[in-house]
Amino acid sequence: MANFRRFRPDDLNKLSKCNLDPLTETYELSFYLQYYAKWPSLFQVAEDENGNIIGYIMGKLESSPDVYKFSEHYLPWHAHITAVTVAPEARRLGIGKLLTEQLEAAGDAGNAWFVDLFVRKTNYKAIKFYESMGYSIFRVVKEYYGDHSTDPTQDSEDAYDMRKPLKRDVKKEHIRADGEKHEIDPTDVW
Amino acid sequence: MAYNRYRYGPPALKSSVDVQLQSAFSDGNWSAVIRLAAKRFATFKDPYYEAIRVSTEAQLQGTAEKCAVLVHVDELVRSKKTPDIGILDLYEWACQDFIGYEIDFAETFGPLRVRWVKANASSPMASSCLQGCLEQWDLVSAQQIAATLDKTYANTTDRRYMFWNITLTFLLSISPQCTEASRKVYSLLTVRQLQKAADITENSKKLEKTDRGLLTEEEVCLYYRVLLSHGTKEEFLARLGSPKLGAISQLKQGHKLLFCECLDALETWGEWDTIYELCRDALKLGLDGSTTPFFVCDLRIWKRFVAAATEATNADAALDEVQEVLKQFIELKDKATPMYKKNISLALLETTFRLPSTTINPDHEDTALSPKVVQIGLFLDQYYERFAAFDDVKGYVAELGYEEAKTFLEDVLPKIPGENPTKAQQIIIKALECRLRYTLTTCPQTLSPHQTVVEGKDQGKPFQCRVCSNLAKSPCEGCLRKLIIDAADAHKQITSDKGLLAAIPKLDRDPRLDLALVMGNSLLKLSGLRPGLPNFGQSLWQDVQPDILLQAVLLLDTQLKVTPNDNGLRLLLVQLYLLFGCASYAYQLWAPLDVKRTIQDALSPLFFDRISSISPGLFQGTRPLMEPLRAYYTQSLRDPSPVRIWDAFSSGSYTSILDMAEYDKKLRTSCTLVMTLVEERRATRLFGGKLDVDIDDHILATDIVEDTTLVHKTDYGSFPSLESANGPPIQEFIRLGPGPSNERSHLAFLAEQYLDLLTYTPPKDYKPSKAAEAAARDKAYALETLTRINTSLTDLLHKPSTPKLLTPAETNYYTALSLLSALVLTAISLPKSETSVPKIVSQTTQPLKTTLTTLRTGLLSPKSTVPATTQQAISSLCDMPSFASVRDVAFAVKLSASFVLSHHDKETARDKSGKSGLHKEVVAEMKALESAAAKTLGEAKGHVGVLKGVMNESGWLDKLLDVVLGEDREVGELTEKVSEIVEGRGGAEEWAGKVVDGWREGVKGWGMVKFE
Repeated sequence: MANFRRFRPDDLNKLSKCNLDPLTETYELSFYLQYYAKWPSLFQVAEDENGNIIGYIMGKLESSPDVYKFSEHYLPWHAHITAVTVAPEARRLGIGKLLTEQLEAAGDAGNAWFVDLFVRKTNYKAIKFYESMGYSIFRVVKEYYGDHSTDPTQDSEDAYDMRKPLKRDVKKEHIRADGEKHEIDPTDVW
Repeated sequence: MAYNRYRYGPPALKSSVDVQLQSAFSDGNWSAVIRLAAKRFATFKDPYYEAIRVSTEAQLQGTAEKCAVLVHVDELVRSKKTPDIGILDLYEWACQDFIGYEIDFAETFGPLRVRWVKANASSPMASSCLQGCLEQWDLVSAQQIAATLDKTYANTTDRRYMFWNITLTFLLSISPQCTEASRKVYSLLTVRQLQKAADITENSKKLEKTDRGLLTEEEVCLYYRVLLSHGTKEEFLARLGSPKLGAISQLKQGHKLLFCECLDALETWGEWDTIYELCRDALKLGLDGSTTPFFVCDLRIWKRFVAAATEATNADAALDEVQEVLKQFIELKDKATPMYKKNISLALLETTFRLPSTTINPDHEDTALSPKVVQIGLFLDQYYERFAAFDDVKGYVAELGYEEAKTFLEDVLPKIPGENPTKAQQIIIKALECRLRYTLTTCPQTLSPHQTVVEGKDQGKPFQCRVCSNLAKSPCEGCLRKLIIDAADAHKQITSDKGLLAAIPKLDRDPRLDLALVMGNSLLKLSGLRPGLPNFGQSLWQDVQPDILLQAVLLLDTQLKVTPNDNGLRLLLVQLYLLFGCASYAYQLWAPLDVKRTIQDALSPLFFDRISSISPGLFQGTRPLMEPLRAYYTQSLRDPSPVRIWDAFSSGSYTSILDMAEYDKKLRTSCTLVMTLVEERRATRLFGGKLDVDIDDHILATDIVEDTTLVHKTDYGSFPSLESANGPPIQEFIRLGPGPSNERSHLAFLAEQYLDLLTYTPPKDYKPSKAAEAAARDKAYALETLTRINTSLTDLLHKPSTPKLLTPAETNYYTALSLLSALVLTAISLPKSETSVPKIVSQTTQPLKTTLTTLRTGLLSPKSTVPATTQQAISSLCDMPSFASVRDVAFAVKLSASFVLSHHDKETARDKSGKSGLHKEVVAEMKALESAAAKTLGEAKGHVGVLKGVMNESGWLDKLLDVVLGEDREVGELTEKVSEIVEGRGGAEEWAGKVVDGWREGVKGWGMVKFE
């Protein structure tokens, strides 16, 4: 039922199956097009037989600005998963995994050291999903989110910065086993 | 729309400028800057200081200071000298409010930047000049700069200059900015440049970055895009098989884009042999390890592979090979992710359906348990519990012959969950069965033609249903009734079984939802609802059975409370409530969908289309109803260039550039954009409000001219789709009239232009010294505008496709406008001295008077007449768009007559000689029309009053429930079933309250509309 291909702008007219789901954020046009303009191979979609988008992943290739080169929080050339979503009707078929693998392949093609992403600390389902794909916690970003997904009495929530090493990181220098112990401030994320 | 490159501040001054002037400039202390810059200029004689002064003066309030810079820019353009880049930046900043209006970038700053780049090609600032031109979408200047840069940086490692040049030459060749003569040259140039690059790649052992060949995926795909547009099919096909630049070679490098794009092109050409070979070779790459195994294992590729095999020159051999490749993938299936496993299963199903019946069933022809049925069964064995199972097999089941379908439903489907199915599995199968039975009611194979005339009387049932043997229409009403009863029983079985209810959260999909959709859709069909309703001159209520239609809505609404997160059901209900005039409740259902930002363009018509005619009261809320839509377009289209286009240039994403330019063009000419402008303006007019600008001058309407093709792209993807491909989709049944279209959008736009002309009032301080000349100019402008509008309206209305794209009410309105524009044109151009009045006057006034009379008698209840029955009252409440057209037509007549009479009065007052003014017969006709319009408007107002009175009566809940669920009399079996599901009148009361409130709100809104 699914076809995988690169995103194209007309897909924005076919997003209802994904974006009417309350868990999927809808962004301004410039946000989608920025990714399509700069990193088209890291913006992949899954579509159904009628051309409706039933899943997509948006990512980018970047490093921290040079000015932070000597900071301990400097991020070398890497791929980043900005958003990944699958329509409710297309879940449990591994579409999220396939999209993520495609982004990883694009990261490898772009000679990135690793792929990283941010996930809410309480999003156990997503954390489990990423762990099953070889991602591990690299650090905890304290109060990264301005709200809490499960506890309305709290006004913030921590994020896990999860990583998966890519082919370039032969020695696995960019991951660590005790990432949960490394806490950083959101201002140290660039 | 003007681009403002200096939105976030002025350009930086040159570092040679002293600190005092720098700080005054950065502080925005303009008077100090002007003083200091003048001083420095006097001392150093450097024109840069003069430019600082001039551009800073443009920041002041006075018109003379603001505009002085224009003279300096003009001088620069005329001088032919190479300008200073710092001065250019300053002047462009100073002119930011003029660009697009008083200043055409492409004739001023664009050529100036080209001039500068030509003289300073190796400067790092040259790219910035290119960016500046691109941001203004001045393709002519941008292409010239790119060509200069390409020449300067040829054979360097930065390959972008070469491809910027090619991409811009291509963009120019397909742009209206390019003259017809130049278009051919640029087309040829692009193809030649890329052909040369392709040859270099083909002939090089190893391409280096400095070579001018095609290296990256983006470069290769750009070549094919250009070939597709400007090259020959033969060259495209030849290159596609090339060992380096061919689609298969690109796939081996992990590049899938070209493969996907070329299949689309080949399909439009009908090049089935090539499609077949490409799909086969691509799939085999996965088998021989050249790519990951499932790299191209998409269902679309399989479908194309099978379709191409059936069309191939040697179809038998090709189909054998398809099966062989498929067999190899089936062997690999265990290693695949669930998605690819499913794609392979579907590929098997597809292959079975496309193979000739003699191939798949050589020994058992005519058996009902055919291989097709067996394959559907095998597929469902694995997937029947999954969310998408119905969508996956629906199309295949719809293709089965009648006997096959019968065997499938009766013998195969029930056995799928095995010998000892759980209750949940049984109910899933039941829900699937009901949905597939519904689909089959929309398929021709379930009906046999039957003699419809018996004893000279047309029975209105031209078929015999093969399922229930009854005489039937399409779809068979007997089958739909049985389906509703079966689905209702299954629904009741679930709701009365605690174990089943507890199992639902663990299921992929709530079977109650599927059953409710089957019942709802069946009831909608039984109610008589069909595409194209209401008929001309009739209310929807006269064409359908209201009780059954309302039962469908009640049932679906009840289900929404159980499954509130199902967006398909919610969208269905939004459309249904709009259909019967319950817009405020539709809005309550629409709001939680949170349609915002980018998805508005595709989804907003589902609620907002025609909304001002349904319920103008919605525009009276605290927040402007369509503000999010307007804000989206304002934000996304504020610059003349496509959003983020420079990002694509700087990243070397050439196909992205082409796609973004195309998307931008469509967004600027979107039917939803026109809908946004028109609906807001219509609502403002309804309430007697003042419009800020004419629609022509609206900042979002810059790209909309008469010959623009307006693009509609409404996203119906989330609608539940139980229909087969043999008939129209469900949205065609439930939508209030035809969807957005180029024709309707243009008509709506023209209507606004016409009303703008009629309602124009000059500013109070406009007092021309030469009144006669000004009057002549005004008249010439009015005649020219009226001629244009009338011609366009008439042309559009006479297009054969147009009637199907409009509701009867819209046809009435636009026809009236066409007549009115012709009449006004004649009236004000006819000399007073003319002895005979041309026929066109009576030819237009007579139909207009007839239209007004017909509308009054057909749609308005006389002031004293209160609808006799609840159904009559509901009929009026549901038909507010037709009522809106009465008001629209009458108002347009009134405005047109007033316009002509006011013109006559002004002319008579201005020219005391008595020679000016209008022909007396024309004046008389206009007065008669004005009076007829006033009478109609008065009656329309009375109609709203009557409805208000009706809605204020007590007992509406009971009245509505009586219509829907029957009174104390005996009710039919269907009503009983619906009643059970909604838990009787008690359960339906809340719903009835919302519907009645919705109608009351609607009438209240109409009560605020101006009729004078």
